[in-house]
Amino acid sequence: MNLQINRDTDYVEQFQNKIEDPTSLTSWDLFKQSYQIAETVKIDSFTDLVSLKLLPDLELLPHQKECAETVIQEMNGRALLADEVGLGKTIEAGIILKEYLVRGLVKKVLILVPASLVNQWTAELNQKFLIPANPATKRVNWEHTDIIISTLDMAKSERHRKAILEQDYDLVIVDEAHKLKNHKTKNFAFVQQLKKKYCLLLTATPIQNKLTDIYNLISILRPGYLGSYDEFMKNYRQQNKHVSDPYLKQLISKVMVRNRRKETGITWTDRKIETVWVDFTEKEQQTYLAIEDFFRQRTVISSLTYRRELCSSREACYLSLKKWGEADESKNNDVQLQQLLQSIGELPHHSKALKLIDLIKNSNEKFIVFTEYRATQIYLQWLLHQEKIPTVIFRGGFKKGKKDWMRQLFQNQARVMIATEAAGEGINLQFCHHLVNYDLPWNPMRLEQRIGRLHRFGQENDVHIYNFAIRNTIDEHVMNLLYSKIKLFENVVGQLDEILSELQVSNLEKEIESIFKESKSIGETKIKLDNLTAVISSHNTDTELEEKSI
Amino acid sequence: MINNLHDFLHDFFELHDCEVHKTDEGLLHVKLTRELDEALMNRPFYWHYMDKLNQVGEPTTLQLDINKKQSESNGEWIHFGSPRLQQIFNFIEKKAKYTVLYEKRESTVQEPLYPWLICNLRVNYCGLQKKEVIYSIGLHLIHGAILLDMMNRLESLSFDRMMSDYTYTISPIIRPVSGLKRVYDFIESNIEQEDLTWAEQAMQTLNEEVELLQHFYYEENEEELFQQEKEDLTKRLYPTISIEIINAGIFYISNDSTSKLMMDK
Repeated sequence: MNLQINRDTDYVEQFQNKIEDPTSLTSWDLFKQSYQIAETVKIDSFTDLVSLKLLPDLELLPHQKECAETVIQEMNGRALLADEVGLGKTIEAGIILKEYLVRGLVKKVLILVPASLVNQWTAELNQKFLIPANPATKRVNWEHTDIIISTLDMAKSERHRKAILEQDYDLVIVDEAHKLKNHKTKNFAFVQQLKKKYCLLLTATPIQNKLTDIYNLISILRPGYLGSYDEFMKNYRQQNKHVSDPYLKQLISKVMVRNRRKETGITWTDRKIETVWVDFTEKEQQTYLAIEDFFRQRTVISSLTYRRELCSSREACYLSLKKWGEADESKNNDVQLQQLLQSIGELPHHSKALKLIDLIKNSNEKFIVFTEYRATQIYLQWLLHQEKIPTVIFRGGFKKGKKDWMRQLFQNQARVMIATEAAGEGINLQFCHHLVNYDLPWNPMRLEQRIGRLHRFGQENDVHIYNFAIRNTIDEHVMNLLYSKIKLFENVVGQLDEILSELQVSNLEKEIESIFKESKSIGETKIKLDNLTAVISSHNTDTELEEKSI
Repeated sequence: MINNLHDFLHDFFELHDCEVHKTDEGLLHVKLTRELDEALMNRPFYWHYMDKLNQVGEPTTLQLDINKKQSESNGEWIHFGSPRLQQIFNFIEKKAKYTVLYEKRESTVQEPLYPWLICNLRVNYCGLQKKEVIYSIGLHLIHGAILLDMMNRLESLSFDRMMSDYTYTISPIIRPVSGLKRVYDFIESNIEQEDLTWAEQAMQTLNEEVELLQHFYYEENEEELFQQEKEDLTKRLYPTISIEIINAGIFYISNDSTSKLMMDK
């Protein structure tokens, strides 16, 4: 093999001039010191991680060190880091970055993370890894700053996009990379176009809904590795193969590192699950039924959304029903609608909300309360305020600074944080260990993201999870038929993503919604949900057995 | 190798005329000079204003804590990974690139000193991973003899930037620049004897990846992206060797010492 060897020609050219110029000459002692430095920082072998010696204060878990070694040695720096939530993907990415920096293989780095994590990434890289990383500010200089942490939205925006695409990055890291699962989105195209030598994609849910999710993520890392899109679809979709296909599994294992909690050998604190059953008052129950009746007469639309909302708060239901009425002038004079709205408006305090107050008042702990609706969020805040319980609210739409501020307020002053769904991602609350699912999401992956904010590495207490559900409502079906059966709360959802893709259930939430909508009776709903959960849980035990047998 | 960082830094600051106090607990108390303040403290404006106002300015005093854990350190934490040390290392590397030195002699009669080219180099092997090998080479600039491990051989001698009394230098027959080229040739012929499996592996991986890429973009018809991805791949996987000079200089050495150097194994 003919290898080209590059010489340091500049040095040779300048040598004669330099040794004739006394000001550029050094003493024997310093000459020796320079050589000693070179000997000391030398990278001896192709394989060992040299950066760990430079970070004596960093305490790594075994799976984190292994991950870094695998990515660097076997995957050549292009990998999907897909540990389950809370196992320290950021730490893994940090070591890999540090190692490449120390080896001189990487200088220019772009790190794309959700807005709420920019500060955390900056702090961790600087403090834990001694890496001089800078958050992107308004006047960021993409060309002259070596290590930048930005959000995907900012990076792909009209204002910055061009400058970024002109840079030659040695390493690109994308956190919460499931945002790239769709190859038709701008996010995907943007990351694909970045000039990058090494690339790390981080996500706890490499397959959210479909097998193509992972195909697309891998296409960014190693285009062509799983064949062209059409081929892949042909091979795995139409022939009814899935992730458990051993060949595909093996292929994926060469680009993806996925640690599961139970494999890491670390003892995790427990999840204590409690279902809190609430009964509607008679008036509430009547209203609930009235909504169902109202929409049954008007067969155009299902009452499902509105019933779900009533299970959360009057406010949520009222506002969205009103909006529905206002969308169409013909409904302006709909007397029945006006009556329905009026009866919702006249309801007393929501039974679930009162139960929540009870729960919080009987404890001295901090609580995080998750709801699906903003109207509910505001209502709960008002109600808790009346009870003199200090609260903060948290939404996905908050600016970065506000999110950090809210988190800090919660940690230092407030008792309760009321968060909407979007808060599930990108905020770490290990200091809190009581979580209320005020209403349950229909997508179990979202549930895991909620719990993962608290039940992650660094949580020292058992995590108490309270699931609120109202009897004789849609809440009860979801709780009994879906969640209890799959034992979603006890087991980390981890494997559910794979199961779903194996079952070709592309979108569980839609699946459940259509079961509710299409079923003509409660009995039918029950049977259909039963079937769904039975398939899922049988699969669950199957894979457990399989894993044990290996 | 730096075996004792505490001593190393102490020597470094002393060489730069700083007041240094060393304690047993691994602390180093240093009053910087202006030169080092400018190099390490990153405050150009301060010095700019001081000059404008015709004032002397006050260099910073550092309290460095070596060897302890970061969390327990009593002062600025110094370790092989800390940014401050990196800064000092960079400063030394940049400053100590070239030299011309004379062996210290205590002669009472006229004595010739013979020219050597001493060259320290780092060979970077980049394939799937990276590795470095360091050479320290001495080339006798009269008769062209080459010695390895030169820095260790020179350890027992003392050198100065000024010639000692009664010594005089012999002019090189091999020009220093040609000397450097000889050193390069020597190392390259060494490398050619080495096992190149690592490079073959990298080449093979690169070819496989490019094939996959061609397959992927075959139908997509996106030439630009294909070229870019291919370029990224090449940058990442194409095996290369580069030889970097850490530092080099002309050393004038007496006949006695030269014989000893050649004798050592």
